[in-house]
Amino acid sequence: MAEIFDRLLIRILLAGFVCLMIYLYRYAHVIFYPTVKRQVLKRISPSENPADTLHLFARLIGISIIFSSISFNEASGVWLSLFHFGVWGSIAIILYLLSLFIIESIVFYNFDYTDEILKHKNMSYAFISFCHAIVIAYLTRTVMMEAENSLIILLVLWLYMLVIVGFSVKYFTFISKLSFNRLLIQKNLSLCFSYGGFTLGSGFIIASCFDQEHYDITIFCIQVLLKTVLSLIIFPIFKKGIVRIFPVRLGSNRSHVTEIESQMHTLGYGFYEGSVFISAAILTTMIVNRIQFGTIYPFF
Amino acid sequence: MQKFFLYTILVIAYLGLAKALSPSEHGIQFLKNESQFSKILKSKNITVILIDTHATGFLIQTFYQKLRVITDYEHIDEMIVRTNKEFAKKNKDFIGLSIYRKSSDTEEFLPLPPGSLYIDNPEYGEWKTSKKGVIYWAFHKSYKNFPRYLGWGKFKITKDFFQQMKSSISLNRPFFGPNEEFGPNGKITKKNFPHFFGEDRKKKSDLKNLLLQYLKENF
Repeated sequence: MAEIFDRLLIRILLAGFVCLMIYLYRYAHVIFYPTVKRQVLKRISPSENPADTLHLFARLIGISIIFSSISFNEASGVWLSLFHFGVWGSIAIILYLLSLFIIESIVFYNFDYTDEILKHKNMSYAFISFCHAIVIAYLTRTVMMEAENSLIILLVLWLYMLVIVGFSVKYFTFISKLSFNRLLIQKNLSLCFSYGGFTLGSGFIIASCFDQEHYDITIFCIQVLLKTVLSLIIFPIFKKGIVRIFPVRLGSNRSHVTEIESQMHTLGYGFYEGSVFISAAILTTMIVNRIQFGTIYPFF
Repeated sequence: MQKFFLYTILVIAYLGLAKALSPSEHGIQFLKNESQFSKILKSKNITVILIDTHATGFLIQTFYQKLRVITDYEHIDEMIVRTNKEFAKKNKDFIGLSIYRKSSDTEEFLPLPPGSLYIDNPEYGEWKTSKKGVIYWAFHKSYKNFPRYLGWGKFKITKDFFQQMKSSISLNRPFFGPNEEFGPNGKITKKNFPHFFGEDRKKKSDLKNLLLQYLKENF
C-alpha cells in the first residue's frame, strides 16, 4: 500500500511540475508575441476575441503534444527525472516557438498578427495558425523522439524538418485553386479549411518520413530526403485520383468565371479541398512507408 | 503542361537521388558479360564458380549472381554481382560450374567443372593411381583444401574425366562431367552448393498455391 501511495504521490508531483513548465511556456510565448503581453499575462477573455483565444490555445495544445514525448524514468531518481524533464521541456519550448515563428513568418509574410488577430479578429488567420501549431508540435515531437536524448541530433533533425516544412507550405499555391493572400484578407473560411487540410496532410507525410529506424544520422537524413521526394511524386496521383472519383460541380455549364470563383470561396469547397488533401496525404504515407520490399541487399 | 514538366523533373530527380544515395547501390558491381570479369578481378590465376543466381522485382527485374572466386594460395572469396537479363539467363544452366578462368594472360569463358584450370598442372598437383587402378588427380598438400573450395567434396577427378573434358573443350562445348556430376542436374553440385537447390527456391508461385498458403497462414 505504501508503495502504491508513493507512486501516486510521484505522479501528482510530476503533474504539478508539468503545470509549472506550462506556466514557463506562457511567459516564453510573450517573447515571440510581445504585443499580447497584456492579454496573456492577465486574465484571458475568450468571448472578447475568439480568434485570439484559438491562436493562443492552439499553442497550448501544441506544447502538450510535445511534452507527451518526454518520458520520466523514476528508476534513475525523481529529482534527476524532474531535471531531465526541465531541460528537455525547455528545449522543446524554445524549438517549438522558434519553429512557429519561422513558419508563420514564411506563410504570413504579408500579414501582421496585431492587425489580423487583435484588430480584425480574423478567424481564418487564427484557424490557419491553429493548424500550424498542431502540425509543428507533432513534427517537433517526432524529431525529439528520433533524437533519443541527443542534443546535436535534435538540432540537426529540427533544422532539417524546418527546411522541409518551409518548402512544403509554399507547395500550397501549386496545388490549390484558392488565392491565399487575397482570401485571407477577406477572412474567407473556405481558405482556412482548405489550407488546414493541406497543412495537416503535409504534417502527416513529413512525420512519416522521419519515422524510421535510426542508426546513422547521414543515412537517416538521406532516407528522409528520398521519402520526401517520393511523397511529392505519389501525392499528386492520389489527389488527381480522388478528384476524378469524386468530381465536384462549380456553377452551371454556362457559368461565368466570377460565379465559379464565388462558389470556390464557399465553406463547402474549403471542406472539399481540405478533405482531398488530408486523404491523399494519408494514402501517400501508406504507399511510401507501408510497402516492404524485403532486405536492401540481395542476400541469397 | 508546366505541371507535367515539373512532375517529370521530380521523377528524374528521385531516380537520380535514389541511385546515387541508396545503400543498395553501393558495394555491388555490375557485370555486363564475361569480358567484364577481368575489370572486376585483378589477380593472375583465378577460377570463378557460379554458385547461386537470383532475380528481384515485379515488372522490371534485377538479376544477381553469387560467385565463388578462387585465387592462388587458397584465397577464396564470395561476391555478389548484378548482371543483365541475357547474361543471367545464359548462365542459369551453369550453376556449380566454373564460368571464368584466368591463367597468366589467358582467359577462358567456356563453362567447365570447377578446378579445370588446375587439373594436369604439375604446379598444383599430380596424377595418382588408386589401389583399384583408377588414375585420379590429387592436389599438393599446400592446396589440400581446393577440393572443398571447388565444390568437389569427396569426388575424385579421374584421367578419363579429364580426357572427356579436353575433347569437350576442343569442340567448344560446356562440360558437365561424364555422368553429369556437375551443373544444375549434377549430384556433386547439388551436394556441395545446396543453397540454390533449397525447397524454398522450388516453390512455384501459382495462384492456387499462394491462396492456399495465405488461407493456411492467416485463418
